[in-house]
Amino acid sequence: MTRLHRIALASTVALCAAMPVAEAKDLTVGFTLDADTLDPANHRKRETETIIRNLYDGIVTRDANMQVVPEIAESMTQVSPTEYDFKIREGIKFHDGTEMTAEDVKFSLDRITVDGAMGDGQTSPRQGLMGPVDKVEVIDGTTVRITLKEPWPILPAMLPNQQIVSKAFVERVGTAGLATEVNGTGPFKLVEWRKGDAIIMERFDDYYGGATDIAPVGPACVDRVIFKVIPESASRVAALLAGDVDIINDLPAFSVAQVKNAPDTDVLTVNGTRSFFIAMNMEGEIFDDPKVRQAAAHAIDKQLIIDKILAGNAASIDGILSPDAFGASELPAYEYDPEKAAALLAEAGFPDGIDVTMDVEGAFKDTAEAVASLLTKAGIRTRVAVGESAQLTEKWRTEGEPKSGDMYFTSWGNGSLDPFDIFTPTHRSHDRGNSAGYANPELDKILDAAAVEMDAEARAAMYREAELIVNADAPYVYLWVPQDIYGVSKRLSGWTPSADSRINLHDACVE
Amino acid sequence: MSLGKLLERILQLLPVLLGVSLIVFAMMALTPGDPVQIMIGDQSVTPEQEAALRRDLGLDRPIHERFFLFVTDAVRGDFGESFYHRRPVADVIAERLPATIELSLVALIVALATAIPLGVLAAIRKNSVLDRLATVGSLLGVSLPGFWFGILLMMLFAVHLQILPVSGRIGYSSEIVPITGFLLVDTLLRGNLSAFWDALSHIILPAITLGLPMTAILMRVTRTSMLEVLRQDYVTFAEAKGLSRRRVLFRHALKNALIPTVSVAAIETGSLLGGNMIVETVFGWPGLGRLVVESIFLRNYPLVQAAVLFYAVTYVLLNFAADLLYTALNPRVKL
Amino acid sequence: MSAPPAPALLVPEAPQKAESIFHRNLATFAANRLAMASAVVVVLFVLMAVLAPFVAPHDPNETDLFRRMQPPAWLPGGEWSYALGCDALGRDILSRIIYGARISIFIGTAVILVATSIGILAGLASGYLRGWVDVVISRIVDILLGFPYLIFAIGLMAMMGPGLWNIILALAYKEWVIPCRVVRGETLVTRELEYVEAARALGASRWHIMLREILPNILSPVIVVSTIRMAHVIILEASLSFLGLGVQPPTASWGSMVADGRAFILEAWWVSTFPGLAILLLVLAINVASQGLRDAFDPRFQE
Repeated sequence: MTRLHRIALASTVALCAAMPVAEAKDLTVGFTLDADTLDPANHRKRETETIIRNLYDGIVTRDANMQVVPEIAESMTQVSPTEYDFKIREGIKFHDGTEMTAEDVKFSLDRITVDGAMGDGQTSPRQGLMGPVDKVEVIDGTTVRITLKEPWPILPAMLPNQQIVSKAFVERVGTAGLATEVNGTGPFKLVEWRKGDAIIMERFDDYYGGATDIAPVGPACVDRVIFKVIPESASRVAALLAGDVDIINDLPAFSVAQVKNAPDTDVLTVNGTRSFFIAMNMEGEIFDDPKVRQAAAHAIDKQLIIDKILAGNAASIDGILSPDAFGASELPAYEYDPEKAAALLAEAGFPDGIDVTMDVEGAFKDTAEAVASLLTKAGIRTRVAVGESAQLTEKWRTEGEPKSGDMYFTSWGNGSLDPFDIFTPTHRSHDRGNSAGYANPELDKILDAAAVEMDAEARAAMYREAELIVNADAPYVYLWVPQDIYGVSKRLSGWTPSADSRINLHDACVE
Repeated sequence: MSLGKLLERILQLLPVLLGVSLIVFAMMALTPGDPVQIMIGDQSVTPEQEAALRRDLGLDRPIHERFFLFVTDAVRGDFGESFYHRRPVADVIAERLPATIELSLVALIVALATAIPLGVLAAIRKNSVLDRLATVGSLLGVSLPGFWFGILLMMLFAVHLQILPVSGRIGYSSEIVPITGFLLVDTLLRGNLSAFWDALSHIILPAITLGLPMTAILMRVTRTSMLEVLRQDYVTFAEAKGLSRRRVLFRHALKNALIPTVSVAAIETGSLLGGNMIVETVFGWPGLGRLVVESIFLRNYPLVQAAVLFYAVTYVLLNFAADLLYTALNPRVKL
Repeated sequence: MSAPPAPALLVPEAPQKAESIFHRNLATFAANRLAMASAVVVVLFVLMAVLAPFVAPHDPNETDLFRRMQPPAWLPGGEWSYALGCDALGRDILSRIIYGARISIFIGTAVILVATSIGILAGLASGYLRGWVDVVISRIVDILLGFPYLIFAIGLMAMMGPGLWNIILALAYKEWVIPCRVVRGETLVTRELEYVEAARALGASRWHIMLREILPNILSPVIVVSTIRMAHVIILEASLSFLGLGVQPPTASWGSMVADGRAFILEAWWVSTFPGLAILLLVLAINVASQGLRDAFDPRFQE
């Protein structure tokens, strides 16, 4: 380092020390991504929703156990298989001081569900998350009714994904204005959005208190919340260790020990909702044989990888559903048994083993390589090919068009923890996420019927049946559901991570 | 410089910009990956909704039509809407630009402030220990992978010594109402010294990381041209006239020796602007480079196209500035 | 060789002079101890790469999760058979550095060879033929220069998909512009020299003049620039790896080792630091050596 640098540095250091300490009631989150937009109806990204959820409240929300509870609504009643009534609380204020009414709720839902309702002929990209909505009406001054075209049992589970905007405000600023301006009913008001850097919010003192089922009820604890964008994981961990931030998301498993051992930081985990699995191309000439697919399942020591690479922070699965999902059940496991794998391969006509390629996104390269070396030891000689997410999606999610490739190490998120959101897209013939090219008309029937079955018990039984069919066919090797890992400062209290990856900071306090 | 030359320069810009547009457009169009599928991700959607989204993004039109629209709109200053931000691309780029430019300029200043004195000293004391150290040091500077060096700096100063912040552009204790968009300038204009030092402490590590290779290059250029100048007759003559060596060096030699340094610096600034996505990622710097790379991966066509055009224009303008500077410092050169 | 009866012979000055200058320059270079030492380092790295299977203590791709992030030998928990420790999959870092030299050096060399060949041809044509050839080539050069290097390479990688050859192509697509500019500039000067005009007067073909008369005389600056750029290309490969567009696993390249290891820098600094040092050492050696080359070969830097 040159003399000049040293002088500059020394003077900076001296002046930094003299700087006033930041207010004690700021809570800073080191977050992987910036919001795409602050318009609750104009994006498709979980991270964006996580940020928006601190500014806007929804009709309903989820508690720490992923149960749907009323938020802006006082109560929720299902009138018929296709009609839901929501009684809206009174006295809720928007950040600008105006009162929120049932009309605002209807307006917000219309904006999402009606074709072309975003203005300029555009339809909300979130329309698909609301299912087959026919219409939304205000039936008396304070009740909003959602009418569906056909039964859709997961509407309550999906409804926490939507937030309520002010009709008057949107009509004034337009969809263009809503991208950067906020007038919500959430616990925090927007102060400043420094694009790409941070979103600064401050407590909304007239907050109605939030969901009555989630204590404490009342205005937020901290004065300000800052979502600070730190994309690089090592930098995020460094910022936490240095005390620059109070919460970081996406703490890498290998950093858990370090963050736990540091004096001022701790680790919090929650069961995640993303299932990892390996798709085997059933249209190809190798994996069209169930024996070969079963051999692959027997060749992978899931527990070893969970212990060593994921530092124990994952739950092993034998079907697509997370153990926490609706309808999840105990399934026959493909035990780790490389000899049996080799025997199955031989039975399938490959006594000398096979040579295959496994596609994976860069982020999961290490894990995929570890899996590949286990497969290789059992005779499935696997070469890992790292590709860009956009390219791999095009290659594997072909929706029925012919596929190329052998294996695909991938995952599917299931924030609602309802099978409809994960089982159907990955297993129904030609569906969007069916990267294995699995086609089983019998299974399709069950999945279609389960999607509209209103009786929870019967519905769970249908998914159980579906899981057993799939378990025998083994279109995928089901691997694990990792935990979401957060690093937190010890000065933080009142916050626990949530399985839907939201970071709701209403109840969080800092010393 | 005559008006004619200026016009000629501007006319030369046109084919370059058209070529750049065509290449970047073709590149994005030929790249596999569907923005609609990426945007929808793992969430459920019906084919009708997918088609509606495709239509909203303008991706249902044939490719030649899209290119024609892009060019004709771009001429009118409309670069379309970013797929993800749902706002005009020009706005999104404009928001990120001040951070990128500020970082590049500070890196440039760091580089010049280090390179010129070192280069001059190395030239004056040619073959001394100092000269050799500076030479090896400058070579070291161009031999370090930037992201690795950046992370090492961060580990040392932010994590272990904890004297500088890990990432970001400025703290959040004070509100900054932008004037120029450059935080270092704005905080000074507002008279907020503590915010100024805060901004400075944030920019110092990324600026050093970004500026290091440039420091190395500029030092070499300065040393070489200084050596050349020192051999010139008029320097010898001035010394013979009995002028003090210091006076000769600073009055006569330095001014001439700096001509190549300045023009190289102007050109290199272009590569600083276009090459800082890695530093921006490591230090969480909210600049344009990081956004462009993310946009390539997300197939956010309008943003990539507009940003690349912006880089191209900047490059051409910087070259132009380099030429102007060259003429200004050295009246013998005619454009 | 079936060249026409060498008009060069009738113009005794040029080629011969180039030859003797070359020898003298070589001597100058050899006298520069630092540069010589660096050249030796480069040669050692190349030898290490070539002899990797005999030098490396372990299979570079052999994973062992029980050795995950094992520290280097001198730290607690290390052992000398894994002298520099192990990476996230328990692979021997030393062996991966030794094998990784192959990839880094190969990419550096291949990109520069491809780029320099194209650059020389385009630069000669542009500078000697002038006219519309020059206009077209100069415009292409302008357009490519307008693209930031990394963004262009990232875009190409996204378009072509991953792979070693695609990395080489993605870097070479723009890299050729630099030798092209150098060659064009030198050609513009050289084509006016007497001996070239003499050759022209004797009816030598255009290609003969470009390749036989001009090229040998302008090769020195091209070689100097190319070696400096090679160092730059090795760093660019590391940058592509940082952005997730590097070589395919399990192949080790220094860039990908540093890039992958950076995530663990707080927990296991050795995973990225040793390959980082390897890049630093090789690139520094190439730079110092090419500096020596420049001082010795480029007349503008001679005393």
